[in-house]
Order: sequence, then structure tokens, then C-alpha cells
Amino acid sequence: MSCAAGCKPADAPAASADGTRDKAGGPTIALMPKSKGNGYFVAAKRGAEDAASELGVKLLFDGPTEPDPARQNEIVETWITRGVDAIAVACENREAVSSSLRKARARGIKVVTYDADALPDARDFFVNQATPEGIGNALVDEAARLLGGRGRYAVITGSLTAGNMIEWQKAIERRNADRHPGLQRIALRPCDDLKDRAFAETTAILNAHPDVGLIMAICSPAVPGAAEAVKQAGKAGKVRVIGLGLPGENRRYLHEGVTDTVILWKVKDLGYLAVQAAHACLEGRLRAGATRHDGGRLGEVRVADGQILLGEPFLFTRANVDQFDF
Amino acid sequence: MSTDLRRARPVALVLGVLAVILAVTAPGFFSRAQLAPFLAGTAPVLVVACGMAVLMVTREVDVSVGSQFALCSVLLGLLLGEGCPPALGIPAAVAAGALLGAVNGALAAGLRLPGLVVTLGTLAIGREALRWAREGRFVQDLPPSVQWLGLGQSLGQWALALAALAVATAVSLGLQGLMAGRWVHAAGSDPAAAATVGVPVRRVTFGAFTLLGALTGLAAALNVARFTDVDPKTGAGLEMQVIAAALIGGVSIEGGRGGILGVSLGVLLLAALSPALVFLGIPPEWERVLQGAIVLASVAGGTRRAPGRPTP
Repeated sequence: MSCAAGCKPADAPAASADGTRDKAGGPTIALMPKSKGNGYFVAAKRGAEDAASELGVKLLFDGPTEPDPARQNEIVETWITRGVDAIAVACENREAVSSSLRKARARGIKVVTYDADALPDARDFFVNQATPEGIGNALVDEAARLLGGRGRYAVITGSLTAGNMIEWQKAIERRNADRHPGLQRIALRPCDDLKDRAFAETTAILNAHPDVGLIMAICSPAVPGAAEAVKQAGKAGKVRVIGLGLPGENRRYLHEGVTDTVILWKVKDLGYLAVQAAHACLEGRLRAGATRHDGGRLGEVRVADGQILLGEPFLFTRANVDQFDF
Repeated sequence: MSTDLRRARPVALVLGVLAVILAVTAPGFFSRAQLAPFLAGTAPVLVVACGMAVLMVTREVDVSVGSQFALCSVLLGLLLGEGCPPALGIPAAVAAGALLGAVNGALAAGLRLPGLVVTLGTLAIGREALRWAREGRFVQDLPPSVQWLGLGQSLGQWALALAALAVATAVSLGLQGLMAGRWVHAAGSDPAAAATVGVPVRRVTFGAFTLLGALTGLAAALNVARFTDVDPKTGAGLEMQVIAAALIGGVSIEGGRGGILGVSLGVLLLAALSPALVFLGIPPEWERVLQGAIVLASVAGGTRRAPGRPTP
């Protein structure tokens, strides 16, 4: 199971020792999810395959069966030994995987991260699926659209202390103040990332604030939890539900008209862009300091501070949710 | 019954104060729209807390009930999704819970390991097993006939609350009236003395773990019945909720004493705290602080009374 001393490629270029930096059919790019069976990463892989066939790249796909930073390290080590040309990783733990990624870079392997970043010096670029501003703006703009620019809303968050949630809350507040002064946030409640607790919190909000017009759930289990509470309260359609979540968990509520909009990125495009970016690094088309990157079928995308931006979040609605299977 | 009432007095007082504050400032808390889902959602917690109280009276504790709850919920969800009728699925969830409880009991009583240590282990194993099996995926789209035990929402909500009340009553009567109940108290007060008078202390401990597991399985079924999806993370933190409720309700951490009436009020008090803050407009940061304060106050109150007991 472990790749300790035995297979550690010492200083000798072990890659050429086993003789195969297979240059035959073009470069080899290795893609790693946080965990293999997860539908989210299966969708990302599908996008990566599209990019690989467009670019004539050989794609390897491997990762832990369950999220496991130690296993991610082992797989990177194996890929170094095997002599792949570029690696794209969704990091389970920022610090944990960084040392093996640095080692890969020292051997001339191009490294990009996607979905979740490593430490900046451990990779060439991070393919960032969404900035806090992108998420906050999309949520508040959608709330304003549904409420006609005026009304009260409540936010269900995953936790009051998680870094990303706090950034999203701040981005929501900024957008609210800057663009939609008619909207008023009347409550912010944590749900500990639990659907059942999001249900209880939403129920209390609906009864304590009968004038609330919209529930905005910003952690994925809270979106179906809030929707179920609105549905059981008999307020479907009267109180709107939007949130940041997975389309699959909300499909039924979208079709029933309880939930209006689920916001996320197109995960398939994330995998596609990760491979495009890794390939561009290999070819020298993408270098440190770049501000633009040719994202293939996605067109030109922005690059800033070593981050390649996938673009605006995507809005999943009743009309399009069935085109996605994660 | 009178000692049960006396132990429940402090928690009843705090709950009463909270109820008066809510009735004056936020009467909406007592509307049917709030109360029915609140009670239905609290029912599963009460069922687990009854089992926990019995176990704590034997001087043991089980911190793995949250993962037992999740395992039973996911199992039941998968069974129902495969078309298994609830009349079979619910007993299967209870049996699965009893089995998980029996494993804890066998390790704790059989190998004489501290229950806290054993169940810290099984807590982690249960959660990791679920993460491996589900990777966070919900069990989705249970047949609609399963929701509310087929009774419809408004009747179903009361049915869940009544089911939990029936369990609490039965456990309370058993703890006071049955031979097994007296054994539980004896084993917890002074295991050595109990053994000399013929109480099978280890079997009592094993039985209490198993009963708690079975009740946790039942609670999982009552919870699954409220929804159409099962979140595999469900029940996270349940252990602290029910242990705290038991302590607030007058169950001694040293074993030997405790009654279900106080525990039931403790469950209600802790469960009411979070929605009460929403109604009173108090920021959520205060919830944990208040919970902690209530537990500390009740434990301190309990030890203050302890010297009044005749020392053996």
C-alpha cells in the first residue's frame, strides 16, 4: 500500500529508468480527483477526457477511493516515477500534497491544481472554479431578480467559522449593499453542514419572520433542507429558495417549483479547463504572469495571480437541471 | 416518582422561564406551524436520550450514538428505496441499532473496557464507513408513501411525537418498576455491592448498551419518516445533545441516579434553544454559550445537592 523507501525515485531520473516517458502519442497528463467515485469528480473527468481528445493528450485518471491526503501523495509519487508530463490535482489538503507536488515540479513536471488549491509554490497554476465575488454576486443578483429588487431574505450557512463560508457571506453583504439596497437580510443561521438542521432552522425562520421572501442556503446540504422546510410549511412558490449546491440533490425540488435556482459551476468545464491549462503549460503557451489563457471551447479565460478563472457560476434551474448528472 | 419529580424541578424551572419569555415576546413560537415540526423533529432525540439516560445510570456512556443513528438511517433509506415495506424496514433499523449497541456492550462489558474509549472508536469507525460507502451522497427519492409513516404530514407529525412520548413513558416505568430497572440503579450506584447481592452487573451494562442501540435505530426510523432523503451525515453531534440533556435532566455522571421525566425536559430545553434564538433575534453565536451555561449550571446544581445524600 505504501510507497515508502522502496519506490522513491532517488536522485537518478527513475522515469527514464523504466524507459517510458511515452512520447509516442503526445504528452501524458495525469488527473487526480479528491476521490474517485464521487459524481462531482466523475463529471470533471468527463470534461478532462474531452480536452484530452481535442489536444491529442494521453490522460491518466487516478485518485483515492475516499478523500485521503496521504493516498494523494502516494499517487503523485507513482506518477513522478512513471514520468508523466503534467499533473492536475484537486487537493484534499492544501499542505499535505504540496511537498510531493514540489518534488514533481523539481523534476520538470508541470503541475496545475483545480477545485481546491495547493500552496502556491507547489503548482504552476490553480484553475479556480469560482471566486467569492462570483458566488456572492450570483446569489444576490438572483435573489434580487426573484424578489423584484425588494424584499427580505435569510441566509443559512454551513458554519459561522469556516473560512470559505465567511468569505461568501461578506461577498453577499457587499453585493447587497452596492447593488440591491432594496434587499434586506433578516437572519443568518448556521446548520453545521447538516440537512436536518437546515430544515429546523428554516422552519423557525419561516415562523419567526412571516414576511421573509427568500431563503438563501450557502452550503450544499442546506439547499434541499431549506426546500423541504418551505414545502412542508406549505409555502412553496411564496417563499423562494436558492442556494449553492449540487444539481442532483435539488432536482426534485427544482421540478416541484420549491427551489428556483441552484448555483454552481459547470464541473465538466472545470475538468476540461484543468487539462487545457496543463497542456498549455507544457507547450509554453501559458507562463507565470499571464493574464489570458486560451481555454479551447470555453474561449479565452482570465488569469490573475497564478489563478485561471473558470468564469461566472452557472445557474441550474428547472429548465436545464436534467442535462446534468452530478 | 417523587424523586423523579424532584430531580426534574431545576430543568422544569428553566424551561418554564424560557416558555414565558417566548409566550410574551414571540407567541408565534407556539403556533401549530412551528410547534408541530419542532416536536416531530425532537421526537427522535428524545428516544435516543431515554436510552442514554439508562446507560448513564449504569455508570457508562456511549458517544457513538450519532454514527449509529446515521448508519441505521442510511440502511433504512436504502431498504425503503429498494421497495422494502416500512413494516419490515423499521424493525430492521431497530435490529441494526441493537446490533451496533451490542458490539459496544460486548467490548465494554465483556472486555471490561471503558465505554467512553470503546465508543470513541466505534463513533469514528461508523462515520468513516459511511463516508467510504456514500461519499456524502444522500439516499434520495424515498417512496412518498414512506413519509410520515403513510399518515400524511399533520397526523404524522403528532404520531412521531406520541411515539417518542410512549417510549419515554415505557422506559420511565421500566426503570422504576421492573427488576431490570432496579438492577440498572444498583449496578450504577455501587457495582461491587450490587454484584455481591447477585446483580449480574456486566449483563446489565451489556443490556443497557444494546437497548440504547435499539432505541437509536428506532429514532433513526422516526427521523427518516420526516423526509424523503437521507443525509449520511445525519445525527452528527447527537451524542453531545443527548448526554447534555441527560445531565441537565438530573442524571448523575457518576451513575446510580436519574429519571426520564427530567431527561425529557432536558431534551426539550436544548432543542428549543436554537429556534428560540431565531424568534428572539439573538445572534447564533450565543447558542453554544447558552447550552454550555445550562449544562454547567445543572451539573453544579446537582453536585451541590449531593452532600445532602446520606454517604455510604
